[in-house]
Amino acid sequence: MMARHLAQRVGQALLVLAATFTLAFLLLQALPGDAVLIKFLELGLTPDQLAEIRLAYGADAPLWRQYLHTAGGFLTGNFGTSIRAGVPVAQLLAENLPATLLLAALAFAAASLLALLLAGLATLGGQSWLRGLVRSVPSLFVAVPVFWLGIMLIQLFSFQLGWISIISPEPWEELALPVATIAVPISAPLAQVLIRNIDAVLAEPFVAVARAKGASHAWVLRWHVARNALLPTLTMAGVLFGELLGGAVVTEAVFGLNGLGGLTQQAVANQDVAVLQAIVVVSAAAFVLINLAVDLLYPVLDPRLARGRRAA
Amino acid sequence: MSLNRRDALLASLAAPALLAAREANAQPTAMPVRGGTLIYLEQQTYTQLYPPAGGFYPNGGVLNQLTDKLTWQNPQTLEIEPWIAESWTVNTDRTDYVFRLRPAVTFSDGSKVDAEAVARNFDSFGLGNKELRYPVSEVISNYLHSEVIDPLTVRFAFSRPAPGFLQGTAVIGSGLVSLKTLSTPFDQLGDATKIIGSGPFVVQRQNLGRELVLAARPDYAWGPRNHPHQGRALLDGIRVVVTAEDSVRIGALLAGQAHVIRQIQAYDEKQVKDRGFQLFAPSTRGVNNSVVFRPDNPLVAELAVRRALLHATNAQEIVDTLFSPNYPKASSIIASTAQGYVNLAEKLTYDPALAAKLLEEAGWTLNAQGLRQKGDRQLVLTAYESPPQPRNKDTLQLVAQQWAKVGVRLNVLAGDLGSRTLDSLDPVRTPVAPAMVGRADPDVIRSQYHPLTRNVLLQAGGVASKVQSFSDARLNALLDGIASEPDGPKRLDLVAEVQRYVIDQAYTIPIFEEPQVFAASTRLRGMAFEAVGRPSFYGAWLAAR
Repeated sequence: MMARHLAQRVGQALLVLAATFTLAFLLLQALPGDAVLIKFLELGLTPDQLAEIRLAYGADAPLWRQYLHTAGGFLTGNFGTSIRAGVPVAQLLAENLPATLLLAALAFAAASLLALLLAGLATLGGQSWLRGLVRSVPSLFVAVPVFWLGIMLIQLFSFQLGWISIISPEPWEELALPVATIAVPISAPLAQVLIRNIDAVLAEPFVAVARAKGASHAWVLRWHVARNALLPTLTMAGVLFGELLGGAVVTEAVFGLNGLGGLTQQAVANQDVAVLQAIVVVSAAAFVLINLAVDLLYPVLDPRLARGRRAA
Repeated sequence: MSLNRRDALLASLAAPALLAAREANAQPTAMPVRGGTLIYLEQQTYTQLYPPAGGFYPNGGVLNQLTDKLTWQNPQTLEIEPWIAESWTVNTDRTDYVFRLRPAVTFSDGSKVDAEAVARNFDSFGLGNKELRYPVSEVISNYLHSEVIDPLTVRFAFSRPAPGFLQGTAVIGSGLVSLKTLSTPFDQLGDATKIIGSGPFVVQRQNLGRELVLAARPDYAWGPRNHPHQGRALLDGIRVVVTAEDSVRIGALLAGQAHVIRQIQAYDEKQVKDRGFQLFAPSTRGVNNSVVFRPDNPLVAELAVRRALLHATNAQEIVDTLFSPNYPKASSIIASTAQGYVNLAEKLTYDPALAAKLLEEAGWTLNAQGLRQKGDRQLVLTAYESPPQPRNKDTLQLVAQQWAKVGVRLNVLAGDLGSRTLDSLDPVRTPVAPAMVGRADPDVIRSQYHPLTRNVLLQAGGVASKVQSFSDARLNALLDGIASEPDGPKRLDLVAEVQRYVIDQAYTIPIFEEPQVFAASTRLRGMAFEAVGRPSFYGAWLAAR
């Protein structure tokens, strides 16, 4: 049963990827101008020289042939060449993807911790003014522009206090500020969903029963509320990945880090179609994988879902 | 976030060579110190390091440290002096050049910089290479072939006189690379580790898009003969770090985390100077930052309209409002530091009354909306901003305000790069366009205006296929003359004539002479620049704190 479910999900994922590839290809081809024209016009070539170069790049070949060529390349791991950067796209991905994955993973971990901390503070008993204050923090976090936050953190911790070098950082220093920059806005929706769900679960009858049996607030949170409140948060986390990539674009530009974000920004600005095509497919693959992982995690967190599936 | 990339255009023009020779020294008596790693912050990463594509500023900033050139253009005199070539002879027709090379020069992979290697370099630059997708170098025209006379003597032949070739051997676009580099496809030369030159620095480490680490070559002993520094570079190395954000570059310099940064906006110059840092603004010595017309468009086909708009433009106000004294107001189509410059300020006066008069006389009268109208046509023009040029959007918007005073509307569009590229090839869509280009040889004027090269006026016969009929035979004859007149003084006469002609036809409204602006710590000494403002770190050194 499980295996069939898995095969079905993987099949769906592959379909989504193929559709994304095709759609991205068509949209990118529909853009006015092309990278070859843009790059070589800049070099002051004569019309004949330009025509020769276009021929060499196959820039004027019929659309279906370019599509088959690109698709064949992707299936065999050849993503083409970045006309702007003058290196194979695979080399650009190899140098940039791991950096972004590390940044995204650390930022997501930091955001989760921050969200848990906020949710914990916001749902603890005790001072109601503190709860109110903590509950307004996520709105603030979501409102802070990533760009501004990054610049402020650099100004404060690097240029004023001199704690962290932006230009020649130690390995641990390099990611500290960028992680904080991305984690703040990402933590906000996580915290909001978590708080709302904790509130909802706390109002459930079984919590009243547990309390009546003498359980402490912390015990109730840990053993009765956490699992139930985490499910919607997990869904949210899958969706937030996109925002993570968006945050990386700005953060990587501000901090001068290399990564998929900076690569995307450069590729968009220069209409570097081969790079964009690869980035779209890689991002789609990441989305699909994360959602697949989230899907497979549900039954682990909530045994009722696994039972439901078995019954069906 | 500043995504403005001011280099692309500037850039494409590879033409260096003249060290602007501004020694940054506060204390000229200080003895140079060897050692240390210079930290240089670039606004953008390099993109393509095949030397003829080295015009883009981030590319040139790297290539200038990695490669040597056949000749050296002296910063003070703009004369061409020996470097890898010890001497040369040129025939009177300027169709035949013979270079005698310095012995015992090697590329960093150990191979020899001999006649064979030099010949292969110029064959690639002059003829391109279809198989490897190398484009032809913009600075070399009419190239026929090379000939190895003996291991240290090489000859180049041209189909027509090529008076610009000698200066062309001094530019960044003619940097010499090893045969191994010349057998690598164009698509892979964005990788700095594949660029093997004979220059004072070699690539040590690369993190694409983020940083490039260069190391001094210990056995380097063939700097330009007349360069103030000789022997190996003084610095041990250079870290080029890409820092896109303006405020982070400046902040890092002020906080002591970097030694030199490129690309300071005019409005940031003051705070850098006030804090006691050095500011360099070498001229790009080429075609000035200008607004050009596309006379194929009927709205600007009339000379009277173009002349009216020239006199309706207040370049002084633009320079005073948006820039700093490092951006001198233009007084010709080329910079006052360019070869063959003629001061035409009296033809470029701001005179809105004259502008209005010219328009009235040509039949363009003000309508109810305050716009100039003739028959059913209104004078409404369009231009795309050019993000690589400094504050170009602001410049065009100020021009639009000035033109509005005489009843002409200029719409300034941003647009994505693809639309901008296509539309700027269509005179109907873009009757007006911003333009500039740098190179320290009169050939630059031909590059900019000739229909077969950059074709800024969009004449028929060039890359722009939507042009109906506009073509100016007189202009093109003058431009061809500049490219092929073998006699030096006669060539400069042509340069003077073309400046007058372009202004008299009001094809171009020159605005300002464009500099490249750098800021540096006071520790940095011996900083130098080649002709169009690319840094040379060969003689640079770091003083003790």
